[in-house]
Amino acid sequence: MKDPFKNDEPDELQDDAMREASQGEETPDAHKAAVPLAAPAAMPGTEEKKPLVSRRSFVLGIGGVAVLGGIGAVRYVAPHAPLVRPPGGQDEERLVSACIRCQKCYEICPRDVIRPAHIEDGVVTMQTPTFDFSRSFCDWCEEGNGGVPLCVSVCPTLALELPAGATPENTILGKAALNKDWCLAYKLIGCRFCYDACPYEAMGLDDNGRPYVIDDSCNGCGACESVCVSLQNGSISAGAIDRAIVIHPLDEQGNIVYPAYFGRKEATNG
Amino acid sequence: MGKKAAPVRVIVSLVVIAIIAVGFATNAGIGTISAFGWSDISLLCPLGALGTMLASKLLVPRALIALVIAVVLIIIFGRAFCAWACPVPLLQRLRNIFKKPESKTEGLPTPGGEAPLVKEPLSANGSDAPEALVADAVVMEAREAKDAKKEAACPGNCGSCAEKRSKIDSRHFILGGSLLSAAVFGFPVFCLVCPIGLSFALILLVMRLFGGGDVTWSLVIVPLVLFVELVLFRKWCSKLCPLSAFMSLLGLLNKTFKPRIDDSRCIETAQGASCGICGKVCPEGIDPRHPELSEAGMNECTKCRECAVSCPTKALTLPLLPKK
Repeated sequence: MKDPFKNDEPDELQDDAMREASQGEETPDAHKAAVPLAAPAAMPGTEEKKPLVSRRSFVLGIGGVAVLGGIGAVRYVAPHAPLVRPPGGQDEERLVSACIRCQKCYEICPRDVIRPAHIEDGVVTMQTPTFDFSRSFCDWCEEGNGGVPLCVSVCPTLALELPAGATPENTILGKAALNKDWCLAYKLIGCRFCYDACPYEAMGLDDNGRPYVIDDSCNGCGACESVCVSLQNGSISAGAIDRAIVIHPLDEQGNIVYPAYFGRKEATNG
Repeated sequence: MGKKAAPVRVIVSLVVIAIIAVGFATNAGIGTISAFGWSDISLLCPLGALGTMLASKLLVPRALIALVIAVVLIIIFGRAFCAWACPVPLLQRLRNIFKKPESKTEGLPTPGGEAPLVKEPLSANGSDAPEALVADAVVMEAREAKDAKKEAACPGNCGSCAEKRSKIDSRHFILGGSLLSAAVFGFPVFCLVCPIGLSFALILLVMRLFGGGDVTWSLVIVPLVLFVELVLFRKWCSKLCPLSAFMSLLGLLNKTFKPRIDDSRCIETAQGASCGICGKVCPEGIDPRHPELSEAGMNECTKCRECAVSCPTKALTLPLLPKK
């Protein structure tokens, strides 16, 4: 568990910053030690003009700025793993830069598939929009807004912004991956909910009627994940901690980023 | 004297929170205070607007427009947001719940964001005017004694209690730091720890916990950060808040809704007696009667109306336009 607001990296510069910060915040006398800038006028007897900033203010201010610097550095010290982002958020750098965590996209989503990222997803990315496909999927607001994603149109800071010519087919939110260990069809139960749900013909059935993902056609809309019953009461596979078909984010090179539990690579896509 | 300004402010802030909570539960797209509005129209937090443009190195038209509107609103209303809409003073009131009741009688007006405490002693004594005045006098005496004690304890050269608060203080460093950190690190760093944003994040986290079983460590971390910011740093608003700093700077241009004293009714000018209640109740440390004794400049005024409602002769008003 990482505390986002304390930076414990062994970075010398930051260490100094944190020390300064804690001085400013905890010990009011600590300002005697340092702070050359604002000090002179506080000397009794010397007839000088009132300093622009009191010593205490100066220390507190610098301390606060140092804390902000420490938090800012987390982005580079402990970069977060990629997340499945709503349409227009595929440029991770830009999304993290521009998002002010106002939750407008979360609110407006007519299918309620956007969720604010958890702190476990990364300190810097906390409260930014990601997807929760447990109950529904992203249809690009086909139903709700005629195919124009509302999350993109309400975003006030261009954190979600679709490039010109973006379509649901060429905007890859993520890729579905099927875990054969947990998939009911691979226990020959005959389940094909994901195959039936896929709106982009990105699922196929093998000779035994078991579904597999056609990687090149999958755009990560989440329809398959939202209907997967492998984790539901009465059908749960032994040891399963997630649904058998889940959308995973892509890294900058376009490779699927699997979660740690997704142990066996060969057990993924058909 | 039975009137209080604080409960009205509490109700207004609660209504704001309620509206935003309704937004969370529906698909209306009301947004939080960070981007308050309706669907595509958002009044962005001015600091967020500046931060996001500095961080993403993009000129965002909507953010620019929102910034201009915010600046105009601040010039008209000063720091009224702080007293009337911000959830932080509400959270700080929670601190008072844990205080012992007797501490109420020594509720010194502190030049912080702690407006709520101040009115309690004045109003706790009922609505009967003469009795209330006597009780108030007692309270005032107690306060003066406390003030004297405070001054005696002060070595005299600290410059922070007797002298006017400098126009620039630690908040302005944080303001500069949050803009600088946004530019340097490429994301709005302050947004991550902003207690306004975190307050609404917490409401949303709780709603999602009960509404959808969304369990996350954020539910522990967010309240913890809020606790550190608002309880350990009691004077968040006046010492650390960069939004308060931004508004206090623009507040220098504020000419409207300023406290105005009708000299023909004011006890000090009309009867030659001493009063000073308006200055004592001001949570920001402004003394409308004796500006030279103020700890803070008039640009810090949050239009909270404590001075107006506690004036014994109703001589103080906050009119739209200043007297010619």
